[in-house]
Amino acid sequence: MTKQTRLVLAGTAAALVAAVSLLGGALRGSGGSADAVPVKASVAGESFSAGFSGGDTATFIRRLVAQLRAHPGDPKSYTLLGLAYQQRARETGNPAYYTKSEQALDRSRKLAPTDSTTAGALGSLALARHRFREALVFGRESVRLAPYTARNYGVVGDALIELGRYPEAFRTFDHMSSLRPDLSSYSRVSYARELLGRPDAAKQAMTLALDAAGGQPEPTAWVETQLGKLAWSRGRIGEAESHYRTALSVFPGYVYALEPLALVQEAQGRHRTALTLARRAAEALPLPQTVATLGDLYARRGRLAAAQQQYALVDVIRRLLAANGVRTDLEIAQFDADHGVRLGRALAAARKARRARPSIDGDDVLAWALERNGRCAKALPYSRRALRLDTHDALKYFHRGMIERCLGHESRSWFVKAVQLNPHFSLLWSPLARRYAS
Amino acid sequence: MRTTRNERGQGGETAVTRAVEKRKIVIALGLALGALFLALFARGTGPQAAQAASHREAPLISLDPTADITDFFMFRDYAPGEQDKVVLIMDVIPGEEPSSGPNYWNFDPNVLYRFSVDNNGDGKADDVELEFRFKTEPIRGIARQFTLPFSYVGGAGGLPPVTALDGPGSEGLGLRQRYSVTLVHGRHRTQVANGLIAVPSNAGPRTMPDYASLAAQGTYDLGNGIKVFAGQREDPFYIDLGGVFDTLNLRRVPPIETPAEDANDTVSPFGTDMLSGFNVHSIAIELPASMLNGDTGATTIGAYASTSRPHVEVDGDGHGGFRQVQRLANPLVNEAIIGTVDKDRWNALEPEQESRFEDYYLNPRLALALELVFGVPAAKTNRTDLRDLLLKYQPSDRRLSELLRLNLLVPPTPFADQKRMTVLADTPDPAGWPNGRRPKDDVTDIAIRVVGGPNYVAARASDGVNTDDAALSGSFPFLATPFDGRNRHHDNP
Repeated sequence: MTKQTRLVLAGTAAALVAAVSLLGGALRGSGGSADAVPVKASVAGESFSAGFSGGDTATFIRRLVAQLRAHPGDPKSYTLLGLAYQQRARETGNPAYYTKSEQALDRSRKLAPTDSTTAGALGSLALARHRFREALVFGRESVRLAPYTARNYGVVGDALIELGRYPEAFRTFDHMSSLRPDLSSYSRVSYARELLGRPDAAKQAMTLALDAAGGQPEPTAWVETQLGKLAWSRGRIGEAESHYRTALSVFPGYVYALEPLALVQEAQGRHRTALTLARRAAEALPLPQTVATLGDLYARRGRLAAAQQQYALVDVIRRLLAANGVRTDLEIAQFDADHGVRLGRALAAARKARRARPSIDGDDVLAWALERNGRCAKALPYSRRALRLDTHDALKYFHRGMIERCLGHESRSWFVKAVQLNPHFSLLWSPLARRYAS
Repeated sequence: MRTTRNERGQGGETAVTRAVEKRKIVIALGLALGALFLALFARGTGPQAAQAASHREAPLISLDPTADITDFFMFRDYAPGEQDKVVLIMDVIPGEEPSSGPNYWNFDPNVLYRFSVDNNGDGKADDVELEFRFKTEPIRGIARQFTLPFSYVGGAGGLPPVTALDGPGSEGLGLRQRYSVTLVHGRHRTQVANGLIAVPSNAGPRTMPDYASLAAQGTYDLGNGIKVFAGQREDPFYIDLGGVFDTLNLRRVPPIETPAEDANDTVSPFGTDMLSGFNVHSIAIELPASMLNGDTGATTIGAYASTSRPHVEVDGDGHGGFRQVQRLANPLVNEAIIGTVDKDRWNALEPEQESRFEDYYLNPRLALALELVFGVPAAKTNRTDLRDLLLKYQPSDRRLSELLRLNLLVPPTPFADQKRMTVLADTPDPAGWPNGRRPKDDVTDIAIRVVGGPNYVAARASDGVNTDDAALSGSFPFLATPFDGRNRHHDNP
C-alpha cells in the first residue's frame, strides 16, 4: 500500500465507520450491532436463524475465522470467507472488504488451485471491482472446472455484457437459465431483454424472479427495486414508486430503494422528501452514486456549497474504492463530464474506461465526454455504437441529441424521444432536454 | 534392538503419515462439508444491487427456498383402517421462522410441485405423477378494506379472528392461496381438484385462536380414497445441524449412544436439535395403493418429489416449458453424497440417469469424513452395497435410479410402535427408511451408520438427537401443527 492511499484511507475512515454502522442496522433489520471490524459480531447471531437464515454475514465470517484458526489449511473455509467478505462489502459499502476477500481467496488458491468455487468467487470479486476481463478469465475457469454449475455462467455472462460481447453474453444467460431457472438467471435474462429494448419482456422475466424470491426480505427488495427501475426507465413514475415502496416495506431502510425513491419524489415535486430520502441513502451507503445524487439535489435547489461538499466526498470515496482495487474510470468520466469539471480528465478517464469496458455504457460515456469537450464529430460514432442494441435509454438518447445538435444536425427528435420515454431521466439534464424537445 | 529401531522407524513414518493425514482431513472435510456450508450460506445471504457499480450487479448468491425441498416422505398409511393407502409428502422452504410476519411464506405460483412414481420397475418415475400448482388470490377481506400491510389480521379491535379458510371467519385472511391437483397417467391428465385452499401460516393465537381446527379444514377428502393437504407444518426433521457443520463436532466423544439411549426414541441423549422451533410448507397426498400400482400390480414402487420452474430465454417472450430445479428421493443424497460441482446438473436430471453419479455412491466422501474425524475405520470405497441400496430394486438391476422405494407388502407399523432406527433398531421395524420413509425415521443416525459401515453400526454412532421437538400425528397429514408466530421463542441452546 502506498503512503498516499494510506492517508486516503485514514482520512475517510471515520466517516466510513459511522456510515457503516448506520447501514448495519438498516440492512440487517433488528438485533445486533454492525461494525466495520468483521470479526466482532453480534451475540444475536448465535442462533441458527440469525446465523444463517437471518443473513448475518458478520457472524458467518466470525465462524469461518474461528474455523480457520482450528484448521488453517482448509481451502474451503478461505473460499467461503472470501465470498462472505464480498457480501459484507455489498452490505456496508466499505471497499476494504474487497481487499480482505482477495486475500482470503488467494490463500485458498494456494491450498487448492483447481477449486471451481474459488475461481467463481475470484470472478465475482473482479466483477465487483469492475475488472471485467479478469472476471471473464476467472468465470471461464470456473465453468471449465464445474461446467454444470449455473452460478458460474452468471459470472461469465456478466463479464461479457460489460465487455460489449452481447451475443455471447445472451447465449450464456440462456444456457444458465436452462441449467437452473431461478432468481439469478431470471434477473439476468430480464436485463438482457432490457438492453435489447424489450421492456415488457424484461418485466415478465423480472416478475418470475420476484416470485422466485419467495417473499424473503432482501431478495424481494432487490427484485422490487429492479422492477421499479424498469418502470422508471420508461417514465412510469407511479409504478416505480410502488415497487420502491414495496421494497422498503419488506426490507425497511433498504438503501438501494431509498435513492431511486428520492428521484421519484423529486419528479413528483416533493422536493423536501426527496432530499430527506437522498440524505438517508447517502449517509447509510456513501457510494459515488448516492452521494452524487444528494449533491445534485442540493445543486437543483441552488445550495451550491452543500452540493460541493457532496461532490468533494464523491472524489474521496472514489479514491478509497481505487485503493481497494475497484476501477472507477467510467464513473469518474460520467461525473466529471456531467458536472463540467476537469473535462480533460473526464475525456482521459472515458477513453480508459471504454478500453477496459467496450460496452454500450463505455461507448456512451466516451461519446458524452467527447461532446463535452466539443469534439462532436468524434463523438457521433460512439453514440451510434451506444445505441446499437436499440436499448430504450433516455440518457443515451439525450447524449445523442446533444451531439447531433453540436454538429448542427437535426436533433430535436432525440430530445423528444428521451423526454417521451422518461421526462425525469436525469436530475441534471432533464430540464434541458425538455427545453430542446419543445 | 530391532524392535526399537522398527518402532523408531514407524514413529518417523507416523509423523509423516500424521501430517499427510492431517492435510487429508482438512481437504476431505472441506470436500464433504463445503457443499453444506455453501448451501447454508446461500440460504442466509440475499442478493444485493450494485452499489460501487454503474453496471448491473446481479445477485452474488441466489436463494430458492420455495423450490427447495427439505424432505420427501412416502409410506403406507399407518392409521387404523387406512392401511391400503400410500402417503406422499414433500416439505419445502427450509428453516421457516414462525414469526416471519407480516410477509409469511407461501408456495410459489410459478413452481410446479410434483410427485413422480415408477410402478413397472424400470427406474423411470414416469408412470404416475401428481402435480400441484398454486395461485395467490388478490389481497382480500379486511386487509384489502383497510389496506393493511398484514397477510393475516383479526381477533382485536372488533375484527373477527380467522376461524375459517373460506366464507365467514375468513375475512382476516388477506393473503390466500388456492391450488389444483392433477393426476398424470402416461398421456392422460386428470385434474382431480381445483380451487382448494392452502392452509395459512400460524400467525398466533389472537389472529387464529384455534389453528388446529383451521388447519383441519385444509385437509380435503376428494373421494375415491384421496386426501390432500397443503400448508404450513412444523419441520419434522431433527438433527444436530450446528454440531455437524462444526466439522462433525458432535456433543459427545465419541458420538455413540448406549443401547438404552439408542432404544429410547423420546429423549435426545446429547445432541441439540438445531431445527427445533422452525416450520416448513408441506404438500401431502394420500391415495389408494391401487391408484399407484393398479396397472402393473407392482409390489414395490419407486418415487421422488421435484420442483420445476419456467425456463426463459433472452429471445423468447413467454416461457418454454418447465425445467426441474430440484429433486429429492432418499434423504441426504443431495447434501451428503453428490459433489458440489455436480449439484445443479444432478437436480436437473431424471433419477434414472444416476449412473453418471455412481462414483459418489461407491466412494462416499461422508464415510471418509467420518473416519478422519472419529478415527474409526469406515467403509470408504467400493460401496456397491450403498449403490444397490439407494439406486436399485434388486442387485441384478442394470439401471441405476435414485428413487425412494417402498415395498407395499411390508405392513405398516402402528404409529405408537414405530422405531426411529427402523431396520437397525433392536426390534427391527421394517416399515421405515430405506423402505419408504416416515416422518419419525431418524435418517441422520441411520445414514451415519449405514454410510460409515459395520463399525459405526456396531458402535451406535449418532448425532445425539433422537426425536423431534413436536409430537407427530398418527393420521393424515401426519406432521405436527406449526409453531405459532407469537409464542415461539428461540431460547433453547
